[in-house]
Amino acid sequence: MDIEAQSTNHITDEELAILQEIMNIAFGQSASDLAEVIDTHVLLAVPFIKVMKVTELPGYIKEQVKEYKQISIVEQKFWGKFKGDALLVFSSGSGKALINLLQSDDRRGMEAGPIDILERETLMEVGNILIGACVGKLAELLRDVVTYTPPLVMVEKEYEEAISSGYYDHEKTAIVLKTDFRFESGNVSGFLFLVTSNESIKWLRDALQRFIEQYE
Amino acid sequence: MILNQIFDAINLGIVILDADLKIQSWNRWMEIHSGIEAGDVVGKPALESFPNLDNPRFIRSCKSVFSFGNFCFFSQKLHGYLFPFKSSSYVGSEFKYMQQSCAMGPLRDENNQIKCLFIYVQDVTEVAVYERKLVEMSMRDGLTGIYNRRFMDTKLNEEYFRHTRYSRAFSIIMFDIDKFKKVNDEYGHQCGDFILKSVSSRISASIRNIDFLFRYGGEEFCCILPETNLEGAELVAERFRTAIMEMENNFNGDVIKITISLGVADLTNDTASPGDLIQHADEALYRAKRGGRNRVESYSVNKK
Amino acid sequence: MIKSILIVDDSPIARKMLKSCLPKDRGYEFYEAGDGKEGCEKYTQIRPDITFMDLTMPVMTGYEAIEEIVKNDKNALIIVVTADVQMKAIKRVLDLGAYMVLKKPLKREEIQSVLLKAQDTLQKTG
Repeated sequence: MDIEAQSTNHITDEELAILQEIMNIAFGQSASDLAEVIDTHVLLAVPFIKVMKVTELPGYIKEQVKEYKQISIVEQKFWGKFKGDALLVFSSGSGKALINLLQSDDRRGMEAGPIDILERETLMEVGNILIGACVGKLAELLRDVVTYTPPLVMVEKEYEEAISSGYYDHEKTAIVLKTDFRFESGNVSGFLFLVTSNESIKWLRDALQRFIEQYE
Repeated sequence: MILNQIFDAINLGIVILDADLKIQSWNRWMEIHSGIEAGDVVGKPALESFPNLDNPRFIRSCKSVFSFGNFCFFSQKLHGYLFPFKSSSYVGSEFKYMQQSCAMGPLRDENNQIKCLFIYVQDVTEVAVYERKLVEMSMRDGLTGIYNRRFMDTKLNEEYFRHTRYSRAFSIIMFDIDKFKKVNDEYGHQCGDFILKSVSSRISASIRNIDFLFRYGGEEFCCILPETNLEGAELVAERFRTAIMEMENNFNGDVIKITISLGVADLTNDTASPGDLIQHADEALYRAKRGGRNRVESYSVNKK
Repeated sequence: MIKSILIVDDSPIARKMLKSCLPKDRGYEFYEAGDGKEGCEKYTQIRPDITFMDLTMPVMTGYEAIEEIVKNDKNALIIVVTADVQMKAIKRVLDLGAYMVLKKPLKREEIQSVLLKAQDTLQKTG
């Protein structure tokens, strides 16, 4: 174990590989539970992990979502020893597709409230569950318990406008975990970005070590 | 000791449900606002005591909390309330039931396994009333009190989308006051305002609850008619026309008579957007003006 | 008698985790592959007694690798190890010829009993 690396907030390649496998397990487990809860199969791709400075974050996210001219976003912060931000980016039209998918709420039908409120509500509900599934399972494997802030939703905005640069203004390091997701039925797809805050990195590294020690 | 006291002293409803969704705890706030004693609900299934909770959204949220340990939020804006409690204040309540902002989350045992879920309930009726007033004000035209152009853009969009989605008939009527400038010039602007108000209230009185009347511009109005086809809309437009024509407007001793011209259009394969609907009605309105005013014209592809 | 074990998974950590659950005192020979294609090649070379296979891998997926291996050796004993254990996936791999499906993360005790069962089966098929 590299002593210098340990004492700084610099996460090693081996630790990133452990995190990768943990995420793989977490998302695999989420997928089956999700199918139970929202009655639809969600395909979660193998997650991609990148370490970067927080200031680079908006640029990185914009680059990933730019093929979607318009996007809807659900954002929640999570707080445990593992802290950070979950950003769920939905492709344009996902909100309306989700309304049709969750048609179990069809006591609504023609007398429903305004469509934009319904769209918001649906995105928020599904977004909350999806984020909860991924973050929750991840936290569980890391032996942590997290709480969440209420979700913030932005519906169908130009991607440039939606990802603001102002919030991310310090030079600290963040670990970005990116997963493509797709709902098997209906035109719903997008990305989940989990951005861990700088303060969590030390705890995360310890948790990853504890995890792999079980297998040594 | 102290924490137990908080459970009953706090100005927040707290309900705890077990994995079978049976009520485990019901705090003092819930007792007071429901009129139901804890002893009467604890141990019973929540969905039996409160049948309105038996809906996919609520059940999905509970499942999610037990599976993932996430928090689910029920905002007043989207749900109104979770528990149907009568409004607690006697003073002018616009809402039949208390408006609530709620959240639910997991409760774990010593092994960190999720055993129960909590629901907290906040009374946000006052804020909701205030917000409603603000929203109302922003949707209304100051002079006439009917809906304004800003609201029309939203409403038209929404109705257009809903009607295309379910393939229902949908029509609009655009009308304006004939020679309105002349009225202003002859009788003054205050009279003009009076005329606008009279027309608005006369037409408002003759539409159904599901129809919407908007002030589109200076002396222009738009009326949207959900679930109505072109023929139906033409009948309605004709009714408007005669009502206004027969109206006797008394202002400062003068009796002023006015007429309106109307353009009618409906949802067809040609209307690719709400804007197209307006454009068609506008074209029909223009023909009505050219055709001599005080008349109804309908949009048709052939009639251009 | 189980002598050789092949582990196919694109995550080196996953391979490490699996290996650590397998008993070290039985003289097993361990072999590893990082994707489905390499997995097939090594299978042909080594003819392991037991193969542990991940499903989501680059170059060639676990599904394709199972199909390929079973085509050439219908007695192949392939144990699928995966995080996503939905009915559809399980049925699919069993239809392709997999022996059984295990859920990640693995536990030592679970592996012990699986190995015993596999040993029995191997002896029967010779």
